[in-house]
Parts: sequence; C-alpha cells; structure tokens
Amino acid sequence: MTPLMSSLACVMALAQAFFLWRGKMHILKEGLLLFGFFCISCVFTLLVGSPDDPQIEHYPLRMLALCLCFSTTSLPRYRRRYLVMAQAFWLWVELFGGIALAYRGIEFAWARSLAIFLLCCSSTLLSRISKEMEFCLMVFWIAIWILF
Amino acid sequence: MVRILFIVFLCLLVPGLASMGYSLWQGPAAWSVDTGVFWGLPISLFVFWIGLAHAGTLISAIFLVLDVKMERRTSILAELATLCALVVAVIFPLMHLGVIQNFYMVAPYMESRGSMANVCSPLVWDFCCILAYGLLSVVYLVVHVLADKSAVAASIHRPLAWLLFPMVLWVHTIVSLDFAATFVPAWRGAFFPIYFIVGAVFSGLAMVNIMLCAEGYRMRQLEKLMLVGSWFLGAFLLWDFALKGNLSVTVLVFAVLLPQLMFVSAVRESTLGRVLVSSSIIVGLLLERVFLVFPSGVVGFGWVDLGLICFGFGLFGVIFLVARLKLSRVIEGEEVLMGEVEETVPKRPATGRFSYFAPLTTPEFRMLRFPLLLGIIACTLFLVWVVGCLEENGIAFSDANLVPLTCPIITTVAGIVLCLRPLVMHIGKVGGVVMVALAALLGVLAGMVYGGVTSVPSGAVVSSTGDMLDVGTLPDSTSTLDSVAIIRTKAVFEARCAGCHGADGRLNEKFVREYYPVPQNLDISRMDALGEDSLVNVILNGRTNMNPYAGRISPQMARGLVRYMRLLAETPAADNAARNEGGDE
Repeated sequence: MTPLMSSLACVMALAQAFFLWRGKMHILKEGLLLFGFFCISCVFTLLVGSPDDPQIEHYPLRMLALCLCFSTTSLPRYRRRYLVMAQAFWLWVELFGGIALAYRGIEFAWARSLAIFLLCCSSTLLSRISKEMEFCLMVFWIAIWILF
Repeated sequence: MVRILFIVFLCLLVPGLASMGYSLWQGPAAWSVDTGVFWGLPISLFVFWIGLAHAGTLISAIFLVLDVKMERRTSILAELATLCALVVAVIFPLMHLGVIQNFYMVAPYMESRGSMANVCSPLVWDFCCILAYGLLSVVYLVVHVLADKSAVAASIHRPLAWLLFPMVLWVHTIVSLDFAATFVPAWRGAFFPIYFIVGAVFSGLAMVNIMLCAEGYRMRQLEKLMLVGSWFLGAFLLWDFALKGNLSVTVLVFAVLLPQLMFVSAVRESTLGRVLVSSSIIVGLLLERVFLVFPSGVVGFGWVDLGLICFGFGLFGVIFLVARLKLSRVIEGEEVLMGEVEETVPKRPATGRFSYFAPLTTPEFRMLRFPLLLGIIACTLFLVWVVGCLEENGIAFSDANLVPLTCPIITTVAGIVLCLRPLVMHIGKVGGVVMVALAALLGVLAGMVYGGVTSVPSGAVVSSTGDMLDVGTLPDSTSTLDSVAIIRTKAVFEARCAGCHGADGRLNEKFVREYYPVPQNLDISRMDALGEDSLVNVILNGRTNMNPYAGRISPQMARGLVRYMRLLAETPAADNAARNEGGDE
C-alpha cells in the first residue's frame, strides 16, 4: 500500500472514531457502528491494496484498532483502562498478524510492534489524561502508523 | 429436567465412547482426513470445543474487570462450563497425535530427553497455553466459590480476572496460528487470530445462553452480544471470501442469518426461540470448523466421525451435569437476582486525594504488578535458555517463534505468586514454608520423572510371527547395498520413515519443523559417530520420539535402512531429488 493511501486510511480511522461512544452507550448501536467501520475498512483495503500483497489480510483490523485507539480519547470515564485495552488490541493484531506472515517469509515489523508495546505499557502509568496528553497520544499513534 | 438431560447425554456418550475406542485402536485411518492437508475431524472438534471453553472466562473474568455486573450463579455456571469444555477439547489433539502416550513430548522442556522440543511449532504453543489456561481457570473457579466466605480469596479474585483476560484470548489466537502458520493456501490469513477469537467468543456466548435457558432465566446483554458477534463473524466470512474465494453458505445461514431472528420479539421472548437460535449458532460454528479443516471438501464422513461428535457433546453434558449437581449448593446458595448484584469484593479503603504510598508499595503494585514482574523475569530467563539451546543445536528460528510462549509463562508464574501470598497469610508462616517445600519437591520429582522416562512402544507392534519386512541377506562387513536391496529399502523408507525424516533424509519440512519435536540431524559425521549397530538398535527399539519397529521389520531390514540413510546422507540433496524422481518413474 502506498504511503498516501496509508495516510488516507489513518484519516479514515480518525473520522470513524468521531462517531463512537457518543451519547448513551448501547451495545447494539456501538456494535453496529464498529461492524460498519470494519466493513468500510475492508472495502477500502480491497480497493486500494494489491491483492497479491499478503499484508492487506489484516489491514482492516489494523484500521479498526487505530480507530478504537482514537475513540478512547473521547470517553467520559475509565479512559486509561480502555486506552490501554485499545492499544493492546492494536498490538495483538500487529503481533499475531506479523507472526502468521513471518511464516510465509514476510519480515516481522518489530519496530511497529515494539513502539505500540512501549506506548501501551507507558499508558498504564498515566494517572490523569489531560487534553494535551490526548493530543500527544494521537500524535504518537499517527507517527507509528505512518513511520513504521 | 436434569435427569432427562443426563440420559440424553449418556445416550450420546456411550456410542461416542465406542467410536473413540475404535479411533484410538485404529489410529488416524479411522476418521475422515483431508488428503490435501492430512488433518481430520479431531482438529475441527478441538477448535470447536476450545472455542466453547472461552465462555466462562469471557462471561466471568472479562465482565468483572470491565465492571459489568452479573449474577454470581451465571458466572460460576459459565466457569464450570469452561472447565468441562476444556476437558473435552484436550482429548482431540491428543488422539490426533497418533502416539497418544507421548503427549508430553510437546512440552518445551529442552534437552532433557536428548531431543529438541520444537518451539517453532504451534503444537508446542498449544500445549503451553492450554495447560496455563486450564490451571488458571481451576484456580479462578475455586477463588470465585470461596470469595463469598473468605476475604483473602475475594482480594485476589479481581487481579486473577485481569490475568485471565489476556490468557483466554491468547489461547484461541495460538489455536488460530495452528492454521495460519502452515503452507496450506486456504489457511493463509493474518486476520485469523482475531477471526478465531470472534468465532470462539460467539460460540461461547451461545452455549451460555442455552445454559441460562435450561436454568430458566435470561441475560439480555448476552443476547445483544450474540447479535453483534454474528455480524462480525459475517464480516470475517465475507473478508475471507474476498481474499480467497472461500465461502460456506451453510455456515453463513446458521451462524449469521438465523441469529438475526432475535430481532423478532416472538423469538426473542420465547425460551424455545432463544434455544433454537443459540443451537443454530453452535451448529454453524461446528460446521465452520469442519469446513475450515477440510479445505478440499469433506470426504468419507462416516460413523466414526459422527461418533466423535457425539462423544464430545455427550462427555461435556455428563461432566457438566454431574459437576453442576455436586456444586448446586455453592451455585444456588446465595442467589442474587439480576440487577441487584451486591459487590462481593470488599470496597477499597477510601484514600485521600493526597495519600502517599512509598515506592513499590501501592496496593495495585503488590496485587498485580509485582506478580507480573516476577512472571516477566521468569519468562525472560526461560527464553534466554531456549535461545541458547536452539543456537547450540544449530536450529533455525525467528524471534517471532518465541513470542507465543511468553503469555502462558508470565500468566502462570504471576497467578501462582498471586495465590501464594494470601495462601501463606491464611495458613500461617510454618504452613506456608511446608507448602513451598512440598511444591519444590513436587517440581523436582516431576522433573526427574520427565527426564528419566523412556519412550513407550506405540502398541502397534505386529507379532513376531507376522509378516515382517525383510531385505534379504546383507553383507556384514561392508556398509553398502546392492541395487535390489536399495529398491527394497527405499520402498520401506518411503513408507515408514519419510513421513518424518523426508524422502531425501533431510527432514520432512511440513511435519517436523512445524508440528513435532525436531529429530536428530543424521548427517554423515553423526551417523559415523553413532555407528551402524547403534542406529539399528534405535530403529528396532525406539528412542525418545522414534517409535520402535521391532516385530514390524526384521533386524536385517533395519540394517538395510541404516545403510540406505547413510547413502542418502552421503549424496548431495540435488542428487537425492533426481534419484527420487527417477525412482518414481
């Protein structure tokens, strides 16, 4: 996937995150939104990714994970807990997707996984998440997405 | 009702046992196997039951850490179902191994038996994960049962739930890598880990929903989660179809479309409707596992396969009902109605805004971070040792191969440390010292037994009066074979040995590197060092993972095989390939 399309995927994840956890929480509403975002991510990946590139296999899940990370900054309560869990989900997708791909000869993206891991671990130490810290976290996530 | 269910499950178990006995006697030839991938129904059933085993932990532990209130009875029932499903699940990969009595060979206990446990193999990862998950699930259930009466048990209930949370997801992720890490094109999918988790959680929810219906009450949140699960499963099925063109309409109907009937109030509000929808999900997920394991289509599905399915359901039902009856006082003793759940965990002491804790003394550190830290240290030491062993033996590996072993080790060590503290506090210092000493002694004994036990014959030995494969007369003084002997030994080698050692004697990549402990590298220098007599002895009497062949082949044939292997070892790989092609012609 080209860097431009990768950046576009990041913007899409950011845009999707805007709609999550708004108003009163309903399992069906949030589930339907996440399902919709996942389907949109799948269609986007199919349109812009090369079918011969095995790395597109978990690309929609990576987009969904990034979207979840962004969305946690707008949560009213338990932000640290869900922030860590969203990053853990992203790490999960990267780590095990990477292992599955490594068995097929594709180089494991250690830098990306390590960066998410470190960010995830350091997030557990956050006691209060200010607006500035939210911004910093979003910059870190975007940097990981774009650079690694 | 319980009696009727018990009789139904017994009716499933009895013919299932006959089928299981026949399967164990006959080996993998008894059940239908996909000839393209060499896997069969036991693997489908393993994935299915391990998925169901997620229900308890999902319902209980994950809801607990996320502060989702639920009835104590529901969570204990779900945890019980987890353990029962886990018991059923572990039986199937064991029977699929073929050499069931050598199951412990897959434990990553290196060098103790002179053979290398293959840490690159998902089978080894499965073993570690399921062992750790089973152990922690038992501890979690016991702690949950005791939590009402013991403040000590209640204090570790929530930290244990935090430990189990990643573990339960890790188990099914590793199961997914059994598929994703193979050469089979239909199983290639970097999305498999999350896809498997969704499927497992979905089937687990359906199982708990059926149990709740049988108990006569309902949990609406579960029903909504089931619906969300069906959407995501549908999305994954369509994504798989978009990537590889695989789509099972039956699975789509049973597991994705039929659950949408929950939107119809008549179905949703009726117990029978909820049971039927949940059963449809279970059937759909079972079919999904079967179609997954049989990428080229299910062929030769017979009574043994049907019996194995019955065995799984029958055994689960019987174990669950017996345990349910035995624990009925514990489960129903202090029933709390939905929505009126009281906190069983004591409230945390109110701390002021500026209360000070000395470094490394906060309750969070003592209860969760410290055990985790010890787990991480233990895991690091283990991995350093493993890397040393692998490098010393010249086995190629990637760092990514070691990652799957980390979570079970960290979680197990952290869980033990977490439970030891209150246990020692509860039974006093002297009792604690005695317990630790006993545990250490048990560990040493287990190590001694493990390190000292020899391979057991596989039980497939033909009587000595039976037809043994022979090669004719071989000259004793020389290590050569004439052309007739080469043809005979080549045929036997390819029939009996090539499955593991490879047709060219340089290991079968698919079977050995991925799924079984790595055998010795029999290069020419090693063969010379061991000597012909020693190798003949190994073939006839077995050693570590090598099965004994005495009674099936004659000593002369064993000697012929050793010489044929030497011939292969002396020849460059390219020449071996050419010889095999020529031989085939």
